[in-house]
Amino acid sequence: MTAAATTLTDTVLEVERLTIDLPSKGEPIRVVDGVDITVARGQVLGIAGESGSGKTMTALALLGLLPSGAVTGGRADFLGKDLLRLTTKQWRATRGDQIGVVFQDPMTALHPMLSIERQLTEHVRRHLDLSRHDARDKAVELLRRVQLPDPVGSLRSYPHQFSGGMRQRIAIAVALACDPQLLIADEPTTALDVTVQAGVLRLLKQLCESIGLAVIVVTHDLGVMSTVADHLSVFYAGRIVESGPTRELLRGPRHPYTQGLLDSLPHPERPDQPLVPIEGAPATPANRPSGCALHPRCAWAEPSCSQQVPELLSISASRLSACPVDPFGGGER
Amino acid sequence: MSVLELHDVSVTYHRKHLPDVTAVAGVTLTVERGQIVGLVGESGCGKSTLGRAASGLLAPSSGTVLFEGEPVTPLGRAPRPARERRIQMVFQDPNSSLNGRRKIGEQIADGLELAQAMPSKQRKARVAELLEMVGLDAKAAERYPHEFSGGQRQRICIARALSADPSVIIADEPISALDASAQAQIANLLHDLAKQLDVGLLFISHDLAIVRHIADVVTVMYLGKVAEYGPTASVWDQPLHPYSDALIGAVLHADGSADMPEALPGDVPDPADPPAGCRFQTRCPAVMDRCRVDEPALVPVAGRANGRTVACWLHES
Repeated sequence: MTAAATTLTDTVLEVERLTIDLPSKGEPIRVVDGVDITVARGQVLGIAGESGSGKTMTALALLGLLPSGAVTGGRADFLGKDLLRLTTKQWRATRGDQIGVVFQDPMTALHPMLSIERQLTEHVRRHLDLSRHDARDKAVELLRRVQLPDPVGSLRSYPHQFSGGMRQRIAIAVALACDPQLLIADEPTTALDVTVQAGVLRLLKQLCESIGLAVIVVTHDLGVMSTVADHLSVFYAGRIVESGPTRELLRGPRHPYTQGLLDSLPHPERPDQPLVPIEGAPATPANRPSGCALHPRCAWAEPSCSQQVPELLSISASRLSACPVDPFGGGER
Repeated sequence: MSVLELHDVSVTYHRKHLPDVTAVAGVTLTVERGQIVGLVGESGCGKSTLGRAASGLLAPSSGTVLFEGEPVTPLGRAPRPARERRIQMVFQDPNSSLNGRRKIGEQIADGLELAQAMPSKQRKARVAELLEMVGLDAKAAERYPHEFSGGQRQRICIARALSADPSVIIADEPISALDASAQAQIANLLHDLAKQLDVGLLFISHDLAIVRHIADVVTVMYLGKVAEYGPTASVWDQPLHPYSDALIGAVLHADGSADMPEALPGDVPDPADPPAGCRFQTRCPAVMDRCRVDEPALVPVAGRANGRTVACWLHES
């Protein structure tokens, strides 16, 4: 889906100038600093970044699961309501109902002592007010939708009887139980083996397209992003440094950080090319460098980079980058 | 003589009220000095168990582990024989393998002390040297683990392993817990150190793409057995075992192509109850009748003189 085809009514979530401050011994620490994201029906938005980039905190803010004492700013418009201003009671009717969530480790997301039927129906009955019988039918339908081999037989099984990939499918079924409009998946395949990873990614992509779900995938893995995300936002030290359609962005990154991340990955096609890591360690929110947070690690940094925080500016119809030096801007584009 | 030789090693775990699990079922493997051996496979294939048996952290149920030609004593209550301290390990999580309450320098000096007693001035100088070898400032010796990032902590773990003057290092998923940029740094560091110091490196990883970059030879394990072995480039370019093929095919490319690799059907079977015949037959896209009955042996590939072996009936000579 191109940006132009996304009409206003398709937009499910629109986040503007999101800031998150976490309490600490001294001054509160700003872990997310002015983030804008938009997701539409049938679209997968990828949020990429390393540890400390604020990607997980952003996801938690959209789920009302920030640690206590966290202070948010900006707004997060989800189908007419501002997620940053919901009460605990309102969250109970939103999270798990209109917004589904899938976490990294399906073993900890599912209750080990409850049957799959119980985990799926309890949820459905509470939120959708269905009878026991209807809820059971719904559970079978959900398991079929996530392509579990034996949906009816699986209802009486327990999480430990399934493999990691199947457990993650069940966790996705739980997340979809109440027909959410938005699904947030935090590192959904990081704990899975490579050979089953593809199946889970394919499923997420299919669900997004077939039921018009808006999906946010949070991961550090650009390979995962390349396969599932339509649109990608790259986070560094609490800010978005670059965003755009995944294909364009990965094929011609414009921000030195995105380029650096790609250079540090093995190229399956060019295995003899050495890995070129980004020097140094990721900036931490408590110890963010002045100006552009990347400047101490950036080969293209100019004196002004350490003074002024660069704005995320439009570089083409659908792309944004926060690098005034723009070392890769002159070429093909 | 190889620095590390494993001959037909099996490791069986005994469980209360449950059937035994043979996590490693007869693996033969060698590591030469200065050679990087990649050991790849999915979770539950026995690669970590094999690494632990190779280092003497656990005793093999059968088979032998030789370090510089002599059998390795499995770790017990007695101190390790001094000779075997030259087998070192680097683990996945640097946070749990460093002591958070001790200075970096002291932790690295432990290894030096074990290798040979030396005056404290000389010890300090050697610690500084080791820190610089792994790309850290010598002043890091006076600091504590929490003051470092994950990648830097893994460098400290590598420095500590080097302090015992190892001739082989067994690294079990040494980069999996690190950030993307740190992964490349640590992979490059391990590669360069192995080559410069002429240390053998057994690099255990689930990430084939990184193994392709740094390993000289690769061993692909499936359900406790070796499916395929050979020079990394050759195996990568032309995988012979359908399992190697599937693993390589499952690597995601961050090139914006949106190519979705085919997922391998099914899951890794329960190692306590491996399938009859070939262990991969339940998931193999090229399965034949024979595969369900007879187990293929790991044999050299006919007609190719590049030292490759494969356990698959498709490549019977």
